[in-house]
Amino acid sequence: MMQRRSFLQRLGPLGISLAAAPGLVAFTNEPAAKRGPNPPYLKPGDYIGITCPAGTIDQKEARYAEVMLGRWGYKTKLGQTIGKNWNQFAGTDEERAADFQRLLDDPMVKAILFGRGGYGTMRMMDLVNWDMFKKNPKWLVGYSDITAFHCHVNRNFGIPTIHARMAGSFGTMEDESEISLRDTLSGKPQVYHWKAQPLNRQGMGEGILVGGNLSLIYAMQAGPSELDTTGKILFIEDVSEYKYTVDRMLMNLKRSGKLSKLAGLIIGGFTAIKEEEEGFFTISMNEIIFEKVREYGFPVAFGFPAGHQRPNLALKFGMPFKFNVTEADCVLAEPEGFNPLMPINFGHDTITVPIDSLPPRL
Amino acid sequence: MIHIPPYLLKGDTIGLICPAGFMAIEKTEACQNILKKWGFKVQLGKTVGNQYHYFSGKDVDRLADLQDMLDNPSINAILCARGGYGTSRIIDQVNWKAFQKHPKWIIGYSDVTVLHCHLYQKLKFASIHAPMAGAFTDGENKYILSVKKAITGKSLSYNIENHPFNRTGEAIGPLLGGNLSLLAHLTGTPSMPSLKGAILFMEDIGEYLYNIDRMLLQLDRAGKLKDLAGLIIGGFTDNKDTVTPIGKTAYELIADRISGYDFPVAFDFPVSHETNNVALRTGMHHTLKVGKKQAILTGEP
Repeated sequence: MMQRRSFLQRLGPLGISLAAAPGLVAFTNEPAAKRGPNPPYLKPGDYIGITCPAGTIDQKEARYAEVMLGRWGYKTKLGQTIGKNWNQFAGTDEERAADFQRLLDDPMVKAILFGRGGYGTMRMMDLVNWDMFKKNPKWLVGYSDITAFHCHVNRNFGIPTIHARMAGSFGTMEDESEISLRDTLSGKPQVYHWKAQPLNRQGMGEGILVGGNLSLIYAMQAGPSELDTTGKILFIEDVSEYKYTVDRMLMNLKRSGKLSKLAGLIIGGFTAIKEEEEGFFTISMNEIIFEKVREYGFPVAFGFPAGHQRPNLALKFGMPFKFNVTEADCVLAEPEGFNPLMPINFGHDTITVPIDSLPPRL
Repeated sequence: MIHIPPYLLKGDTIGLICPAGFMAIEKTEACQNILKKWGFKVQLGKTVGNQYHYFSGKDVDRLADLQDMLDNPSINAILCARGGYGTSRIIDQVNWKAFQKHPKWIIGYSDVTVLHCHLYQKLKFASIHAPMAGAFTDGENKYILSVKKAITGKSLSYNIENHPFNRTGEAIGPLLGGNLSLLAHLTGTPSMPSLKGAILFMEDIGEYLYNIDRMLLQLDRAGKLKDLAGLIIGGFTDNKDTVTPIGKTAYELIADRISGYDFPVAFDFPVSHETNNVALRTGMHHTLKVGKKQAILTGEP
């Protein structure tokens, strides 16, 4: 039975525009989305802090990340939670909060790359003082348990964050995951194409991208970090869960109205699915997910290469994206960032999308 | 104001259904026999003995069976034969009109927590958190006999030995709760009670300790713990831990999470997925007295 952390150890206007295009979901009652300032993109010589708000990484793992970030032109500041152990956490809740706080308040640090997920971010999150961050935002980078930060920062401050691979799994190889993070940190607009999947629902959507790990989105429900999904493009992924647990979490989101007003739904990896003794569901995980949104009209795309898998491509949460699902392929792109002459290559599913199938400038 | 369905009299009929997982008819025989011995008639729903993969039927079939039992005026109580998972997949499609006119007791635990919370929050009806059909195979032990007391309108009073983590005090309020995983599952949905001023009880089985901590934290951050009148902790059995242990027991994690509050707390209460699982009338006012030597929970009909 793998749990999030052990699995990781093994792996190495912003708002909504209306459009009249057929198949496009229009949102007429969207309240003005809360948007904070965007963190500045990084310049060579900038500092990236590394800290562990949940599980820990060792000095060697941190060193790999430092070397990689150094190659990209960045300096690093290591937090005191690197190599620290307190049960399954990288220090007590207070120690992990203090370590994060130091890097959050350090004006030299332009981005914070988390060491790893596991469990524990939501245990320390309420001890954090966000005043400095709200005035001088910086990029927070991570996924899995870090979804607690994505939800909290998006809900309360509207400041964009980055869903991406973390320091603990950088290693010595630079693959598409790291490259997509490197490009994102430097400000290159995100443009992703991937192949259509059988259960996709075609259509076009535009909205702020939010989401992360389903278990953590679920754990934020009804609390001060609860995700507002109205008019948003929602991304979800998860690892080593039972199908019935995923069904139960999605039923919670559905029953609390989190799925009915999306601008789009993007499904990443649902990996290392646990076998159920009694065979709860004979339908696939994708069918379980699609069943929850069947009655709505927004576009749905499975198979985005992000989650507890390789590649795990960087996504910018809290920023506007255009999303288009056709019979052949899916496109997720920042509205102003698309350049048809620069196809992005990733994985084996990479394809070049003809210009006429790309989302039009609205 | 909570509505209380009529208590059962000899000759009344209890309907058996499976709103979630499937159960073989043979496994309900002990339950049927004991209910008949108590003087009740038993009527089996179509979902008992029926199987659709894990479930006792498709959503529509489980819904229809529950609906029929709710609407049938000759059924005086509905005992869910087993839990599992699946009640929340049908709860929003239930029509409660006939039930509201002719209310009846709904009995069960685990996944049936969905019904208990929904009945209290949306309809203001009491229901019974109690052992289900499978537990009756153990015979008429005190836990099974507590079901009889609960459905026939007797006073319920449970005296529990002191536990070192208990916090003394007295609480009066509606008794609510059930399975922790299901309470987390309901958080944010229209079925979840506010729990303000309530005596909350909870139990769970087979969960990772980190997940127990996360669910407690979810409830706390959703404001579900801060205004409790009292808290009752039942069994947290068959816990699982991660490769690197979390370093605390389930009870220690719970005690840590509520250390900032001052309501009375009673640990090791006999409500669980094991044999020691007493009947509790949820939604009704109870008194919890936690003293230095024992804790007492009492509920009048």
